[in-house]
Amino acid sequence: MGAREPVLDLLRETVDRAAGHCAYAEARHVHALREDLAIHDDLVDAVDADESAGLGIRVLVGGAWGFAATRDVSSAGADAALKRALAVAAAQPAAGARPLAPVMPSVGHWEGPCAIDPFAVGLEARLSHLFAAVAAMRGDARIIRAEASATMVRTRKALVTSDGTAVTHTATECGAGLEATAAAGGEIQTRTYPSSHGGNVAAAGWEHVLGLDLLAHAPRVAEEAVELLTAPELPGGRRTLILHGEQLALQLHESIGHALELDRMLLGEASYAGTSWVAPSDLDASLRYGSERLNVTADATLPGGLGTFGWDDEGVPAARTMLVENGILRAALSDRQSAAAAGLPRSGGCARAEGFARQPIVRMTNVSVEPGDAGSLADLIADTDDGLYLESNRSWSIDDRRWQFQFATEVAREIRGGELGRLYRNPSYAGITPQFWGSLDAVCGRQEWGLWGLTNCGKGEPGQIMQVSHGTAPARFRDVQVGVA
Amino acid sequence: MNGPLELSERALAFLQGEGQATVTRERSLLLRYASSAPTQATELDDTSIHLLSLRNGHVGAATTNVSTDEALRNAARRAMAAAEAAARAAAGPGDHPGLPAPPEGYRAHDGYDPVTARIDPAPGGAALQAAFDVAAEHGLEAFGAWTSGAVETALTSTAGMHAVDRVTDAYLKTILRDARGRTGWDAQSAAKVGDLDATAGARRAAAKVTPEEPTVLPPGEYPVVLDADAVGGLLEFLGSLAFNGQAHAEGRGALEGRLGTRVAAPAINLSDSPRYARTLPRAFDFEGVPKAPIPLIQDGVAHRVVHDTRSAALAGGGARSTGHAITPGGDHHGPTPTNLVLVGGGAADVAELAAPVERGIYVTRLWYLNVVHPQQTLLTGTTRDGTFLIEDGRIARPLRDVRFTDSVLRLLETTEALSATPRLTSEGEYYGRRFAWGTVAPALRAQGFRVTG
Repeated sequence: MGAREPVLDLLRETVDRAAGHCAYAEARHVHALREDLAIHDDLVDAVDADESAGLGIRVLVGGAWGFAATRDVSSAGADAALKRALAVAAAQPAAGARPLAPVMPSVGHWEGPCAIDPFAVGLEARLSHLFAAVAAMRGDARIIRAEASATMVRTRKALVTSDGTAVTHTATECGAGLEATAAAGGEIQTRTYPSSHGGNVAAAGWEHVLGLDLLAHAPRVAEEAVELLTAPELPGGRRTLILHGEQLALQLHESIGHALELDRMLLGEASYAGTSWVAPSDLDASLRYGSERLNVTADATLPGGLGTFGWDDEGVPAARTMLVENGILRAALSDRQSAAAAGLPRSGGCARAEGFARQPIVRMTNVSVEPGDAGSLADLIADTDDGLYLESNRSWSIDDRRWQFQFATEVAREIRGGELGRLYRNPSYAGITPQFWGSLDAVCGRQEWGLWGLTNCGKGEPGQIMQVSHGTAPARFRDVQVGVA
Repeated sequence: MNGPLELSERALAFLQGEGQATVTRERSLLLRYASSAPTQATELDDTSIHLLSLRNGHVGAATTNVSTDEALRNAARRAMAAAEAAARAAAGPGDHPGLPAPPEGYRAHDGYDPVTARIDPAPGGAALQAAFDVAAEHGLEAFGAWTSGAVETALTSTAGMHAVDRVTDAYLKTILRDARGRTGWDAQSAAKVGDLDATAGARRAAAKVTPEEPTVLPPGEYPVVLDADAVGGLLEFLGSLAFNGQAHAEGRGALEGRLGTRVAAPAINLSDSPRYARTLPRAFDFEGVPKAPIPLIQDGVAHRVVHDTRSAALAGGGARSTGHAITPGGDHHGPTPTNLVLVGGGAADVAELAAPVERGIYVTRLWYLNVVHPQQTLLTGTTRDGTFLIEDGRIARPLRDVRFTDSVLRLLETTEALSATPRLTSEGEYYGRRFAWGTVAPALRAQGFRVTG
């Protein structure tokens, strides 16, 4: 889809018709194609294909937003949606002025990477790929369920705003994962690869799934699930932790990413997702968020990231922003409205909407902990005299201010004298956000750094699911409370 | 534009072999507000056409929201190709026993309100203004959401299913907040928008914002009074952890080896009751199987799990679908109850429940619940928007929110008393296609609520 795509003409007409009726208007067309494959043991659980297309029209009238969405992608459909959006905005109580941070109009097309089109790979070939991995997890009678899944998505978007922006976007996302469940003696344990929430998804084609090498990891996943059945429970106490990159990604997502969403800081999400322990006034570079080892970026230009794009859903160009530098808070994640409300000169380019039927809200792009100087994971373990190495998220929960959290992982391994030792089951840890990040004393280097795609981030009313990526390398935290669950 | 039933018939005609066409039309409006001002408003009119194809026990599915013949033909082709590819790749029969035969009929329900179905923004705007006014009276700011929706579901299948159901729902959430960040909560959910009372809800929320500094409670085990919203949140999780027929048949469920035994206090009577007076009723599930009341726990004894067609076949022993398919063909994660009702007890209100407690906690609602150990029904989460210390039998003063890590079944085992009047509780979450649901729950008092942070 290019910037001269016919749908842009429809969007332009709609935005032009809105002139004189509102302070701002935007029209978006989204076409989404998705396939989800799921198998377990020798059965196909699901082969689901989903295609949707529609228009979302958003207007700002007297400080109140109105948004209407329709599947009727025609001039009449767009006109009807515009009228409904205007009516909805007008029906709300009067609101004060709601300025938007300025943006330079953009025109163009952006396309994400995709070497092997996943929709062009035969369905049987994709299922066979998963079946091979599942077969490699089976054999031990204690494995009661062996599962594999894969997801592929292609999204085409077009956006026109009354500021003069007219852009198009095409992105492909692909990912897969494994899960083995073992049971014996009244105990059930699960082990996953490469991550526990449907596998690792990236902005890429089928080549990303091939690169995960599910088949090679499958036997280990099953063996560890069985091994966990008889492993001891992790005893409570205060310990040194090394978090695997996947667990660190979720820790980062929950306790830094969401906390730095400016709409939350401004109380705009108080009714659902919650607020933040960070105040807008903390953006004056006076707040210590973590130790000097902590450097966090939001980067919408990162190749392979699920939060990568050319422009956000308000037409703001993709940017890389330093959020935390040497432990000090530098910036927040913002859209045009929250940036203006906080007195910032420009939007952080974090307005994102799920599909055509939801309006843009502040979202993470690719929020990452930058690599450190602790070398490889082996180096970091060798440098740790007494600790635990935690892998693969099992449970997560954090309060509505993103202050106090509790996580559980599938597995913990003892570290003694710089070497990995015995396995523990049902590990968990808890902490307070700035204290926890303040205890960070080592981050592995670039060679261990990678992107972890999360596809289940919920926010907004009505709910929106967003895909984000987090770059992490294994990192070490001192004096953390473990064994809390 | 044709109605959903006609569209379903037209879509089904493109399927060859065994299959089902399910059409869902959603019209909805959701208004959000924060700091006593409107913030976002989302109005939606969309229709999904889901085509399910079966081949040798394997299922393939395709969904589109485009209703042209070409789009329907393509979706049917994709669904059939998916089922055929699944059958070839699996090299053996699948686990779907075949689509259910049509029932003799469906019982009427009162879950559709033509006034609500208008999706009129005016009552929403008035509700926001009412919340703002009450907030201003108390020197507070209002946050929340108001929504109404109408969903029409039509289902036809090659097994002869030919059914349509219309439901409406409305939801209003009010959080009032003072300058220090102390909050009070109220939520109302109903099939009729006219049943929402914004002023009364805002007054209930305001009553929970008290001027005292919150007390900090150390980790430990405490007697607890859980208000209805907190109980509803816990029961939602119990529904999927304990009563999912597929997980139970595979030995992964929380009631593994416990059906027919006591799992909760004798006062606990839990059912899935789709026609209960205060619930959000539906005529049938996503396979067209009629919804009917099912006792799950009676007098503390676990009796049943719920099934869709697929999980019933897996369970064997004559098990049949109980009308709990949550997607056409049955979700691969299994079925779950959607109309849980916990019968109330004899206590007049939460004050009476708190009366015997020397030192304990009163919890308005829970937040960010997540499963720590599924078979133990062990959850963690925090309290939110109204947590209080109970002292000498009285809800005395505010507490700082706490984290808990506890088992739902353990809390039900130690339940001592329940309030007399259950009400419909809901998180009011509307991800994906609107499917409004909730749990009818009373408040209850239990022992040993495990505070972990």
